[in-house]
Amino acid sequence: MPSKVISFVLNGREVEAMVKPAETVQTLIRERLHYTATKSGCKQGGCGSCTVLLNGEPVLSCLLPAEDIADQEVTTLEGVTPMHGLDPIQQSFADHYATQCGFCTPGMIMVTKALLDHNPDPTRQEIMDAIAGNFCRCTGYQPIIEAIEAAAGHGKYAGHGK
Amino acid sequence: MIKHYFLPQSLDEALALLKEHGEDVAVSGGGTHMMMLINNGHIFPRALMGLRRAGLANIHANGSLRIGAMSTMTQIMQADTGDLLHTAAQNVGGWAVRNMATVGGNLMMPQPAGDFAVALLALGADVKLAGPDGERLVPLVDFYASLPHLKTGELITEIIVPHSTGKTAYLKHARREANAPSMVTVAVNLEMDGGTVTAARIALNGAGATPVRATAAERVVTGQALEPQTIAQAAKAAAEECSPFDDAVASAWYRRKMVDVFVKRALEAIV
Repeated sequence: MPSKVISFVLNGREVEAMVKPAETVQTLIRERLHYTATKSGCKQGGCGSCTVLLNGEPVLSCLLPAEDIADQEVTTLEGVTPMHGLDPIQQSFADHYATQCGFCTPGMIMVTKALLDHNPDPTRQEIMDAIAGNFCRCTGYQPIIEAIEAAAGHGKYAGHGK
Repeated sequence: MIKHYFLPQSLDEALALLKEHGEDVAVSGGGTHMMMLINNGHIFPRALMGLRRAGLANIHANGSLRIGAMSTMTQIMQADTGDLLHTAAQNVGGWAVRNMATVGGNLMMPQPAGDFAVALLALGADVKLAGPDGERLVPLVDFYASLPHLKTGELITEIIVPHSTGKTAYLKHARREANAPSMVTVAVNLEMDGGTVTAARIALNGAGATPVRATAAERVVTGQALEPQTIAQAAKAAAEECSPFDDAVASAWYRRKMVDVFVKRALEAIV
């Protein structure tokens, strides 16, 4: 079975990895590289818990063949988290009780990161549009939306690596 | 277990791989459907070909609109592709799905996931296919009417949307406001002269084996002013002529009722 070596940038660092044919980015980062913040939920593209950023744009790592990301930049939740403390988005999720079981949280935070990097002062509707592909079965979304509004702080968000 | 993953760097390379491996190779566009089938064990292809690097993701928007088959929903929303296609693209999945799902892929989606294709039908789009015998250009409506949609070794390469001055409307009826499968989606494109409809395209998703044109409804409105009575008659015709199906989100019975309601609302939106 012809596995291939690919290189790509993961959270700012160049990585080389051997991937099996059609192996997904999710399997690669979780099971080979042990970056397990990215969750494995439905594997159907339905739940959003596996969301990572590809060149700054949210994509579903469970549906993305690893070879497709060769020479590109992938950011996971580990890359959003600073060396010390938390990213303002993470802090805001904690402050606003936006996580309960926590399973959707990595995906929610990745989408929030992409949203605020594109649009520092989103409306409530824009926030809801952004997270529409991410399922939360605990919170009822309200605390998450409030956490994102607070993290944005009317355009004041300046996250790690910005 | 998939033995080979091919990532062709050009259309020619993709076509050559298809010719060489024939039926053994499954083709994936954005992966939002094909990778799900593989992950869930619904299919077990020996080989998979991804088209992300095949150079098919360009959009040219001068005169008629030419959309590379691998253009994503996000690209459609960012390019000058018109209100109807913008709205249709916005109605596909969530943000991450729209960053992956492609225009060409949407043509091949099982029902009721043709929420983009239905808008292309309303715009009278043509599909360009490339295969072992060269290229052919097929009206989307004929593409859907012929089975299989693609001949062996063929790929969708481009969608061509003629310049339209029509008035358009797009309504999707789903269980949730966003990121939900369609019960019924209606796309309407009417050429008007004053208050009179001179040409009509009314397309339905979730109301047949593929996205379909509601030709009886189109005949009702063509040559007429959009009076409430005409609209009601057209909506009734659409509900009668369509062949909806039962699935987890809605029954055929309910879908037919909703075709009536949403064709009516779409036509009213144009008045």
